[in-house]
Amino acid sequence: MSTQQPAGPLYATAAVDLVKVYGTGATAVRALDGVTVGFTRAEFTAIMGPSGSGKSTLMHCLAGLDTATSGQALLGGTDLTRLADRVLTKVRRERIGFVFQAFNLLPQLTAAQNITLPLDLAGRRPDPELLDYLVTALGLADRLAHRPSELSGGQQQRVALARALVSRPEVVFADEPTGNLDSASGAQVLALLRDAVRDLGQTVVMVTHDATAAAYADRVLLLADGRVSGELDRPGYDAITHALSGQAAAR
Amino acid sequence: MSRTVLRTQLAAVARRPARLLLTGLAVLVASFVVFATVLAQQITERTVLDGLSGTPEQAAFVVGGDAMPTAQDLAAIRAVPGVAEAVGRFETSVLVGSAAHGAFLQVTADPGSGPLALVRTVAGRFPQTANEIAVTARTAERVGLPLGSVANVRTGSETPPVALTVTGIVETSRDSGAQAYASEAAVAALTPDGAGGRIEVRLSDGASADETRQRIQTVLGAATRPQDTAVPGIRPGAEVRAEEAARAVEQIANLFALVAMFVAIAVIAAGLVAASTFRIVFAQRTRQLALLRAVGAGRGGISLALAAEGALTGLVAGVVGVLAALAFGHGLPAVLGWFGVALSGPGLPVGAALAVVFGAVAVTVAAVLAPALSAARVAPLAALRAAQTSPAQRGIGVFRLVCGLLLAVGAVVSALLIGSRLPGQDTEDYAPLPMLLGLVASGMLAFVALMLLGPLLVRPLLAVAGWPLHRLGPVGRLAVGGIGGAPRRAAAVSTVVALGVTLIAGVLVGSASVQALADREMALSAPADFEVTSGDEPIPAAVVTQVRDRSELAHVTPYRRLGELRIDGDPENAYDANDLDLTALPVLGVLDVEAGTLADTGAGRVVLSGYFAEVLGKTAGDRLTLSRQGHTVEVRIAAVLPGWVPLNSALLADPADLDRLGAPAGYSGILADAAASGEDGRTAGQRALRGIAESTGGLRLSVLADERDQYQDVLDSLLGIALGVVGLTVLIAVVGVGTTTALSVVERAAESGVLRAIGLSRARLRLMLTTESGLYGVLGATLGLLLGVPYAWLAVRALGVGAPVELPVLSLLGLFAALVALTALAGVLPARRASRISPIAALGTGD
Ligand SMILES: Nc1ncnc2c1ncn2[C@@H]1O[C@H](COP(=O)(O)OP(=O)(O)OP(=O)(O)O)[C@@H](O)[C@H]1O
Ligand SMILES: [Mg+2]
Repeated sequence: MSTQQPAGPLYATAAVDLVKVYGTGATAVRALDGVTVGFTRAEFTAIMGPSGSGKSTLMHCLAGLDTATSGQALLGGTDLTRLADRVLTKVRRERIGFVFQAFNLLPQLTAAQNITLPLDLAGRRPDPELLDYLVTALGLADRLAHRPSELSGGQQQRVALARALVSRPEVVFADEPTGNLDSASGAQVLALLRDAVRDLGQTVVMVTHDATAAAYADRVLLLADGRVSGELDRPGYDAITHALSGQAAAR
Repeated sequence: MSRTVLRTQLAAVARRPARLLLTGLAVLVASFVVFATVLAQQITERTVLDGLSGTPEQAAFVVGGDAMPTAQDLAAIRAVPGVAEAVGRFETSVLVGSAAHGAFLQVTADPGSGPLALVRTVAGRFPQTANEIAVTARTAERVGLPLGSVANVRTGSETPPVALTVTGIVETSRDSGAQAYASEAAVAALTPDGAGGRIEVRLSDGASADETRQRIQTVLGAATRPQDTAVPGIRPGAEVRAEEAARAVEQIANLFALVAMFVAIAVIAAGLVAASTFRIVFAQRTRQLALLRAVGAGRGGISLALAAEGALTGLVAGVVGVLAALAFGHGLPAVLGWFGVALSGPGLPVGAALAVVFGAVAVTVAAVLAPALSAARVAPLAALRAAQTSPAQRGIGVFRLVCGLLLAVGAVVSALLIGSRLPGQDTEDYAPLPMLLGLVASGMLAFVALMLLGPLLVRPLLAVAGWPLHRLGPVGRLAVGGIGGAPRRAAAVSTVVALGVTLIAGVLVGSASVQALADREMALSAPADFEVTSGDEPIPAAVVTQVRDRSELAHVTPYRRLGELRIDGDPENAYDANDLDLTALPVLGVLDVEAGTLADTGAGRVVLSGYFAEVLGKTAGDRLTLSRQGHTVEVRIAAVLPGWVPLNSALLADPADLDRLGAPAGYSGILADAAASGEDGRTAGQRALRGIAESTGGLRLSVLADERDQYQDVLDSLLGIALGVVGLTVLIAVVGVGTTTALSVVERAAESGVLRAIGLSRARLRLMLTTESGLYGVLGATLGLLLGVPYAWLAVRALGVGAPVELPVLSLLGLFAALVALTALAGVLPARRASRISPIAALGTGD
């Protein structure tokens, strides 16, 4: 894990006037239209909004997976938009964790190998206590030697979650992590994300379409047409659905 | 419906024409190779024919060839109306110098100028009188006959020498180094029993060929001839030239027939690669095909559409390959022309081109059938399954397993059977051909077994071969995992690599063994560059000193040979011994012993030939009693050599023992090497020795090195040709690895995306994919060496020529390394492309 926490700043990661334009000329799409937002340390944030509102794009820019057109994507004070690919790769490996909708495990590796892959790539040994904690908490202890094809969707997503958490990244980004799961498996994954925030002090940013999922979060950020359209602090299910229907009505 | 299916598939192809070429790349390369071979044969034949020096183009008739025409015939033909010129192409061979140390010269009659001349005078003038000759440049150098010198030639051992003056140096299309040219009269004078050869006739302008022929026929018939000599026949010059041409290209045709065999293996390899490639391509379309099935497309329709796609691929690959070969074949002579190498251009063999294209389509369709059928068998349900985690097929079916095992057992049993019948020292009534054919059959069984069982071998092999990579860290582990994750694919492509490696390993082992055999034989029969021998009188020590004093010569080693030796009192058989010093000549370093050691030298010890050891029933350490004319010596056998001992004696003895057996003090012969290397060094050495031999008299000089060089040249060119044709299969295999990696990379784009997202750098992703591609080489080369080396061993032994089986470990290791490097190289481009794709785009392709 990174020991150099940037001093002072409140936010683990933040977007400052972030703009992302896809394409040029008449077909250009402003996926992000000047987003400024900060994600507090040890907080669980859900990003919601209609399809095409730029949720995934925002996450990709903040995670150093994509370049921005203008503005800043800050990770602990570092502006990722100015970094070369080589440095970004290192940043992703050491300071960021990912969970994708489609699990995205490597089919040829066992569950255990998939979990420790980012650490292996960085040439670091996993913290055995943390690994133990994660494996037990995620209920994967007897599944470690299995390959992804031998695991259920929920199990695969839990392996992906363990992979994202084991390197103690500064931020974990999750893009619709429960999108492919049934509600029980989804609930399990969400509880684990919340526990990681509460017990390990992990910062988590999650994109979701599901109000139930968003209800696990400490804060809900609403996006529409590439702009921040609202923010809810510790909302319940009802507050979220209300806000979403309001958003839909505004369109 | 099936037309709709066909349209969707072909639309996909049209959208990505590059993918089509990639799928058909192996077939494309094979088509190129096949058609290039056709063109190469044309180029070679035309080049040979253009440079052929036989009957001149202007010769309308050739008289003789069956029965010899005489000088009178020549005169009579010259008088025939319509004959512009008649040349007596008489030939004889003469000895230059004394009978003991002379050199043979081939003397040919030539007009020296005019359309029927075969030589061109480059210095001096062409001989005119009966006591003049011209020689080629190389002959002048080799035989020592510079311009203006006088050659004393003999036509037989009894006839007195004739003095001929060298008046010219001439050039011909082929200079063997022992050629002289002279006037008809000169050649006739050198052949007292009548000149042998033929007459070439040129017609004057406007003369009728038929009438002139008739007239020549008449004068030939009218001439008086000794009894039972036939009248020489008349043949048109064109017919004779065609015959000469056919004879000249016959060998080329034979050579290309052999090449064709190996090209055929390369084509089979291309078919295997294509089949594997189609499997990968269709696997990537599983979802799409399942979707078509789900909306009601029939299996037959889908198979047909896929097969049609295969045929299209074959057609495109074949046409592109043929066109590329055509461009290459016509470009090469032009390019080489700039560097002064004259090659004739090939023609435009349309029939062959069409045949190659048709063959390409046939091979591709054959390759696509099985993949198309199994792809069409996809369950409609597969459309709904997440492709990403669907496991690659790991194992093989029971039927395939049983077939594979049966074939493997067949291969092992037949190989063991052949191994148990290998010939020993005595190969008298041993027939190698059935054994060799048996080996080829066994090898083919083994290979098919390998194809069937391959997927089962991948993982164990990877566990062993991939172990060092595992230690290398996560990238190596990922690469090993990536290959092991699709064992069928890995098996298919590495089997083709194995085929190439097996062939090359066979050639390497075979050539090393034949080389060792040749070295041994040459060391025995030609242990030095030169040998000077005497008739009856021993060579005095003073001559040896003279030879030693010449700076042109090195390793001067005199020896004595003693015949009429009896062993253990047996009066029946006589043996011979020599006292050659084995340490004096570097060539003798290659000798290997059958028993005992060559280090054990000195008086009272002998080295015995293996043949005689068997006859006598003796081996190293045994004792022998040598006796000759009342002298007797007790000796011990220090070593036994396979076959003969050097200089083809029965045994090698110490000089002191030969003294005790009554050998005279003088030497039987002197061996020496040229001090300087190359042609110049050899010519200098030869001159020096010739000078000494001539001034001493009664000595005979032989150049053993020429013989050795010719032998080596043949061996080297054979090895070159063998590696070249066998290399074609390796080329196809490497193309197969490149294609497989390229397609796998497309298929696993999402995987690359995840790796990049979680922090694998571009360089390491490239390294991982290149390593995967190199691992196909590791697998293939390992399998290939495991198959190739034992089979080559058996083949060399089964030849029954007594060749020692040599394992050229360095070459084999080099082969392994080269294959790994080549296959890794084949993955470089696909790996670069994969690493360029942004991780988000790659993740997007997953779903
Ligand atoms: N690679 C791309 N090229 C062009 N336009 C793109 C690209 N990726 C996204 N867009 C566009 O940018 C906008 C935002 O896309 P984004 O994927 O961020 O939406 P989202 O909020 O994640 O939607 P969803 O909820 O459907 O996942 C959309 O209009 C989309 O069409
Ligand atoms: Mg999205």
